Amino acid sequence: MRLLRAWSTLLWLSFRRLLWSGSTLMVMLPLAACLLFIVTWRKHLPGDSFAAFNIFSQFLMLVFASFVVPICAVAYATSGIGGDREDRTLLFLLIRPVPRPLILLAKYVATLPLAVGIVMTAFYVYCLSVNHEIGWDAYKLYMPAIFYMTIAYIGLFHFFAVTFRHSTIIALIYSLFMELLLGNMPGIVKRVAINYYGRSLMYAAGSPLGLERPSPEWFEPISAAAATLTLIGIAAGGLLIALVVFQRREYTDLT
Amino acid sequence: MILTFDHVTKFYGPVIGVNNISCRIGPGITGLFGANGAGKSTLMKLASGQLRPSQGDVRIGDTRAWSFSAKRLFGYSPDLNSFYEEMTGREFVYVMARMYGMTKGEARDRTEAVLVEVGMSDRAGRRIAGCSHGMRQRIKLAQALIHDPPVLLLDEPLSGIDPGGRREISNLLLEQGEKGKTILVSSHILVETESLADSVLIIARGRIVASGTLREIRAMLEDRPLTVEIVSEDARRLASLLVNEPDVRGIELRSDSLVVKTRNPQRFFGLINDMIAENGVSVRKLQSLDAGADAVFNYLQQGAR
Repeated sequence: MRLLRAWSTLLWLSFRRLLWSGSTLMVMLPLAACLLFIVTWRKHLPGDSFAAFNIFSQFLMLVFASFVVPICAVAYATSGIGGDREDRTLLFLLIRPVPRPLILLAKYVATLPLAVGIVMTAFYVYCLSVNHEIGWDAYKLYMPAIFYMTIAYIGLFHFFAVTFRHSTIIALIYSLFMELLLGNMPGIVKRVAINYYGRSLMYAAGSPLGLERPSPEWFEPISAAAATLTLIGIAAGGLLIALVVFQRREYTDLT
Repeated sequence: MILTFDHVTKFYGPVIGVNNISCRIGPGITGLFGANGAGKSTLMKLASGQLRPSQGDVRIGDTRAWSFSAKRLFGYSPDLNSFYEEMTGREFVYVMARMYGMTKGEARDRTEAVLVEVGMSDRAGRRIAGCSHGMRQRIKLAQALIHDPPVLLLDEPLSGIDPGGRREISNLLLEQGEKGKTILVSSHILVETESLADSVLIIARGRIVASGTLREIRAMLEDRPLTVEIVSEDARRLASLLVNEPDVRGIELRSDSLVVKTRNPQRFFGLINDMIAENGVSVRKLQSLDAGADAVFNYLQQGAR
């Protein structure tokens, strides 16, 4: 009971600090920019539903899934434990009678509703703002892919947070280099990027509504089941490895 | 409760932090002294379970310091100036209390009690970001005392506190020591806590070079050479009288004083008394430059080189 009380205190503290942190401000900027873009650009969408759906889907894949989702995940997932580490307040948590894996788990659980909530809400608002029947279709079809991508990024960035001293910078470099650059390269190299699996899921979900796949040389998606499993695997694996690293690691830079 | 270091060595990569340290620290106040980089902080981090020893074992009672169950057994005040700056002092201590699994009521009561103990109850409503260094030290001390632990590990707890505050904190620590708590206080200024500590550990270059009471350590040094400053208008004459004495190892003549190194302090003081009486030499001041506690520390540190 004592442990549960201690853990829930840590969870609440982490959630509160994340909510009122610079991270919230940091994610609002790209989210607002995206919204502004959609609102100004929607009048140029063709009247034909198939064409409009294709254009909107491409926007979601190339901008939202490849850039905005990882940025939101970086902002919260690395700020949880990484923020405490950079501020050196992590020491005050490590000397309390809470097992280290539970400390990290509290940070993870505090991050989830914020990052997932903001991403899913933003996604909903974008679909609504497109002011077209395709918006609602896109929301229903792509919601699972966006969700799985978000939790995969959160898991991976928690691993970064416990491993690297300046995890936010490393996660940003990862997002911009691996996700944006390698994720959009032709051939097999894009499979190192999380967004490849998210986009595979989106192509599979959008195909009944006529979403056109690019040429196989440019993008060869894997099956929806394999993509889902991979994203869940990255989410769970990232968290699991982070838990093991955090349990064993000595943080010599705190004092 | 006993804090035990059993053949503890800690490496930071190729660099050695502490080297084969063994000691048992029991109830009462033990001072841990050493220059910056001597290994005090490493020892504190090992005791508070932030670091695992590369070799050997650190235990609090029967519990390994690294294990999470040991965290209930000690309170730790780090030499660190980082807090949740947006919180008030009271809120910070309360949150730390809740992290020991206390109920809201228990945490509130304990928070108020320790804030009174550290003399912060009237100022704890202030945001930590706006607190002075001394107030931050008291807040750190409060969070260490919050669960009334049997062992207290205090890293430089008196640094940055004004003399009045030092007296208050010293009295608080003495009270805690009298209650039978095991208190390890680290400092790089020996005089700061020498009046507080029942015994001392002196650490230099990762090794404990002396342990015991300050009196015991000084006794250990009796046969060591001593440096004495003699302030006299007849400094030159006195130097000429002392220069052939067998117990005098060296003389440095200054404008109105001389600094003498002697290999037998007891015999030397007798000799000086005789010279003053027999030769009518006027001596205004006679002081040992090594007699202070800092000198003990310096001696030992030099010995470790």
